[in-house]
Amino acid sequence: MPAIAIETSGYVLHARAWRETSLLLECFTPGQGRIGLVARGVRGARTRTARADLQPLRRLRLSFVTGGEMGSLRMAELETLHALHGEALLAALYVNELLVRLLARDDAHPHLFGRYQRLLDALVVTRASAWPLRCFERDLLEAIGYAPLLDTEAETGAPLRPDGRYVYRPEMGPLPWRPEQGGQAIRGSALLALASGRQPDAADLADLRRLLRQLLSAQLGGRPLTAWSLASLARARPHAAG
Amino acid sequence: MSTASPLLAELMQALRCLPGVGARSAQRMAYHLLERDRRGGERLAAALQKAMQDIGNCNDCRTFSETERCPLCAGHARDRSQLCVVETPADLAAIEQATGFRGLYFVLLGRLSPLDGMGPEELGLPLLARRLGEGEVQELILATNPTVEGEATAHYLAELAHAAGVRVSRLAHGVPLGGELEYIDRGTLAHAFGGRLPVSGDTP
Repeated sequence: MPAIAIETSGYVLHARAWRETSLLLECFTPGQGRIGLVARGVRGARTRTARADLQPLRRLRLSFVTGGEMGSLRMAELETLHALHGEALLAALYVNELLVRLLARDDAHPHLFGRYQRLLDALVVTRASAWPLRCFERDLLEAIGYAPLLDTEAETGAPLRPDGRYVYRPEMGPLPWRPEQGGQAIRGSALLALASGRQPDAADLADLRRLLRQLLSAQLGGRPLTAWSLASLARARPHAAG
Repeated sequence: MSTASPLLAELMQALRCLPGVGARSAQRMAYHLLERDRRGGERLAAALQKAMQDIGNCNDCRTFSETERCPLCAGHARDRSQLCVVETPADLAAIEQATGFRGLYFVLLGRLSPLDGMGPEELGLPLLARRLGEGEVQELILATNPTVEGEATAHYLAELAHAAGVRVSRLAHGVPLGGELEYIDRGTLAHAFGGRLPVSGDTP
């Protein structure tokens, strides 16, 4: 593959120390999607790129050369800092783990990139991260080709009724819930809310959290997210995150 | 490398596990020990062997220790009502050298970082939660690094402390002493500005 110089906006999803003075970065850009970059010599005392900027939650102007497995970072300049605190930080780490686990390298995702920026902006201002997170999870599933069916019944194609009860089959979609079959029911209003992007009530929100985790787990292939162990503490409190 | 005997090659390869030591440094070290300092080499081997075998983690604070409780935790000279949480034993040493802190420490041996597989269990947080629940600790001092992951860790620890009814404080961060505002990165400056302190009239 010939080396190509690229300049783009992007986020660091994860940085790992490498050798004495370098970092291995997982980055998310609109045009290249998830990419791996080596940032050489940035942990030394005198560098053009500030180590502090090569962290998650900063939109950077990235300049790098592609070629082979990992690209090589030339320069990174801070464009926007998303000042997240507290619960929102945990939520953002969770989303970053999702992106690294679920996005394949080098698939362009301009739409999802925009959604990611919007999510971080939302997490700066809201204390209740649950709804923005659910919407992003939906967008992510859609981006990797597993958009959940949310407004019609799987077998009949009949529109969902807000007061109807459904059981969600990950490989199909919503089916009418029958008490004798067991399984956990979800209200039509919850699914329709996720389809339309209008925030539902707390009970529906809790059901959607469960549903999306089930759908994401199916894509994660058995190995759960580490961030989910963070959420077990958060869930005991109001404004639960991931 | 090809001219070296098998034992010599093995030694050089082994030395490369040290940080910052590549093929050339490893070769220099190996020849130095063999040519000029065999006694030193034997001492090094014995010390390494003993340290790797006997050093574990303190049952109380998780720092490196060859006894069940490290000297700090086992001693009676420290203020047991203050507990300072740091990421690494090196951070502990830095605070110990730079400040007059008289309390005890808790060493996480990492930070919350889902993508590195570091969750609450890996950081010994169940142990910390139990300790906070025992009632001896009055103040939890958060000294995790001011990185995204360090901040997330600090938040999580603060929640643990609040749940146990323990007071929480956090190291101040801002403009470094002797620094110039013009050259400070935006994140630090924003933080320092947000965390500005009142100046009382009688301060000299």
